[in-house]
Amino acid sequence: MLQNAEAPVLEEAPDAALVKRAAGGDRAAFAALCARHYDFIFRTAWKWSGRRSDAEDVAQEVCIKLAGAVAGFDGRAAFRSWLYRVTLNAVRDQQRAEGRRGRGTERLAEVQPAIAPPEQEDATTGQELWAAVRRLPGQQRDAVLLVYAEDLSHAEAGEVMGCKEATVSWHIHAAKKTLRGLL
Amino acid sequence: MSDEIHEDELQALKHVETPAPSAAARRRALAAAMVAFDAEQQKSKTPAKGNGWAARLRSIVPQGNWIMDTRFTYGIGTAAVALLLLPLGYQLYTTTAVTPLSDLPALRPEAVRQAEPPAAPESGAEADFAVAAREESEAAPAPAAPMAAKQAGERLQRAAEAPVRAIPEAADGHDEMLAAESAAAGSADAVAVPVAAPAPQPMLAVPTEPTGDVFTRFDESPVQLVAEAPVSTFSVDVDTASYAYVRRSLHEGQLPAPEAVRIEELVNYFTYDYPQPTAAAVPFQPTMQVMPTPWNADTQLLQIGIKGYAPPVTEARPSNLVFLVDTSGSMDEPDKLPLLKRALGLLVGQLDADDTIAIVAYAGSAGVVLEPTAASDKTRILGALDNLWAGGSTAGAAGIELAYRLAAEQRVEGGINRVILATDGDFNVGIEDPEALESFIADKRDAGIFLSVLGFGQGNLGDDTMQALAQNGNGVAAYIDSFQEARKVLVEQVGGTLETIATDVKIQVEFNPAVVSEYRLVGYETRALNREDFNNDRVDAGDVGAGHTVTALYEIVPVGAAGGLIEPLRYETPAAALPTVGTTDEYGFLKLRYKLPGEEASRLIEAPITRDLAVESLAAAPADARWAAAVAAFGQKLKGSRYAGDLRWDEIRSLAQGARGADENGYRAEFIQLVDAAAALAPHR
Repeated sequence: MLQNAEAPVLEEAPDAALVKRAAGGDRAAFAALCARHYDFIFRTAWKWSGRRSDAEDVAQEVCIKLAGAVAGFDGRAAFRSWLYRVTLNAVRDQQRAEGRRGRGTERLAEVQPAIAPPEQEDATTGQELWAAVRRLPGQQRDAVLLVYAEDLSHAEAGEVMGCKEATVSWHIHAAKKTLRGLL
Repeated sequence: MSDEIHEDELQALKHVETPAPSAAARRRALAAAMVAFDAEQQKSKTPAKGNGWAARLRSIVPQGNWIMDTRFTYGIGTAAVALLLLPLGYQLYTTTAVTPLSDLPALRPEAVRQAEPPAAPESGAEADFAVAAREESEAAPAPAAPMAAKQAGERLQRAAEAPVRAIPEAADGHDEMLAAESAAAGSADAVAVPVAAPAPQPMLAVPTEPTGDVFTRFDESPVQLVAEAPVSTFSVDVDTASYAYVRRSLHEGQLPAPEAVRIEELVNYFTYDYPQPTAAAVPFQPTMQVMPTPWNADTQLLQIGIKGYAPPVTEARPSNLVFLVDTSGSMDEPDKLPLLKRALGLLVGQLDADDTIAIVAYAGSAGVVLEPTAASDKTRILGALDNLWAGGSTAGAAGIELAYRLAAEQRVEGGINRVILATDGDFNVGIEDPEALESFIADKRDAGIFLSVLGFGQGNLGDDTMQALAQNGNGVAAYIDSFQEARKVLVEQVGGTLETIATDVKIQVEFNPAVVSEYRLVGYETRALNREDFNNDRVDAGDVGAGHTVTALYEIVPVGAAGGLIEPLRYETPAAALPTVGTTDEYGFLKLRYKLPGEEASRLIEAPITRDLAVESLAAAPADARWAAAVAAFGQKLKGSRYAGDLRWDEIRSLAQGARGADENGYRAEFIQLVDAAAALAPHR
């Protein structure tokens, strides 16, 4: 019952400490880390993909990846930024795989009753904007969503995207033009 | 208006309420993470420790092969490992194009979701997740299961189920075989799948995957008694879309759905060396042959081939082409808009200086992309093509009306006036009612502006709509799945694609009851006409482009032969005993009706199908006839036709191999590869 005794401590431990312990093979620390960040990962994936089923798949994918990747996290970037990066990559991988398999899968998905009723925010006026943003080319989409939906600074977004602050600004500028054409 | 979206509008993105993740999905993900974590720890205890995946992660794009690193090394016996390896191996070596490794992550959640920690959970944290996951999977077998049904994953799963169920047998000797098969898939330890629980799910047949593609269902043409229905009537069909679709499916390691296999389109995909008519006024010359049927020793095969007149280059007529291009978001895939751009680039190279091209986009960036431009201005045309950009909603602009309006403005009397619709199946061109769309196209056809349809991509292809529109527009429907196919349709056979030499081409065969007792038209199910339609010039039928060849096959049962499929009636006088009326020198009589472009009244070509057309053995038949028979046999077997007989794949292959001929473009060699692919996918069919 050692672990149960430790549980409350784990819940309060900072990310960095949990990461370190998980990297050292501490499964309770890893479990706590996943549990803590699952919702963040899911919500991020949802914003990027717009579909609950996709977001759930991505979130699971990311959790599995963390098991192997946590030991390689070097601590130079904030854990959050790193998690963004892993999640965004997983979203992109999923969408690429989806593209390769053709859209038959999407059609199947659309008849599933579970997602047939419109998602809550679909009713809002932002629906078109979201749809357009999600169709932006990869880096423009990442930049716009990180800065506007996630409220990161251009520098923070650059950290996530692995590019310079100026490059983020440039992507956003390009995205604004693209969006004008789309909307 | 600024050319940028306003900052404030983007701020709206902040105010979104994301849905809460479902508790079940959360539990599953966390349980899967723990399984992966344990596997990782196991692995790192071994000497060959490596953070290979994590290292790659820093290079931004996670690669598919990380699956190798999170290998499970529980005490699974060799046989069990082999069993788990097999499905992926099966997948890899039955697809002709080996699945890219980066596809693998998509398989992953599926596999893991099925996975439950094989040993008793060791710690509290894991127990919570694991038990929760187990409850979940028992309560609802596939709860919020991957909506984007990961086809590859499912295929893997299905393939996995069969061998897993075979475990008892595997114990006594099959394991060697299975291990060998997995070894065939490549290095045995290169792939490992987490423990797949042998879930008690109904076993599904492996191949035909549900796709989003829509095909018109049809029943095969039945066998007809000559005594009851001596006349067979159909419209010619020069479409080849079905062949390209079948090819793509087989290349991807899947058997196409039976209704996707239209045998006449497979047969007509190939060019046959029929004699060339000499003048535009009589644009067809029928070629006929009777030979033994490869798949039925008791019947004969009647081959009817016609080749359309190909005007010499000097007669080339000016073309007025309007491309109507789908730029909806779904076109943003390598085999869609980019391929379309290259394909149209090819076509531009084929045109003369006095031809004109216009481009209209619909869906997304709708509107006129290129005003009618002389084909000599290639820079401008190619520039406009380059600027086509997929994206945007499918909200229909009045794309089709715009395209036809441009075509009408630019109309060339006596020339080729054609709208070419290029799409991946989104026909939201501005007229929503399909029937209204068809009649709109038919009206324009009557006014001299024709329509061809080029289909791209897979998964959304509205094949039925494509066919219907092209048929109403006096044009072809071609499915372009590769650059090579684009070359075939838009360069080698551009004449046929763009220039119609005869419209409403109908074929009617009247069989002679004194010689033939039964017959069956192979394919053309979707093209059948009523007997009385033949002479009715108002009934629309297929059109033939310059240089097109059309081939039809009838399987016929000679009077008195054993191969009859229909039991003779007890109270009917047997045909053989009837007094013979007329000649026994003819199998039947062929009639062909066509209209020259722009003409209202049809013309007739007639020819008797005489006994001397018959050869005793297949080997004595011309190569083209044997080739057509091989392709038909392939199509029948592929769709599981009840008339396919027991011809084996390798027999079809050698029949085709022997009839390949010069095959300058390699299309026939490619067909032989397709036979091999089908044989590997459906060895027991």
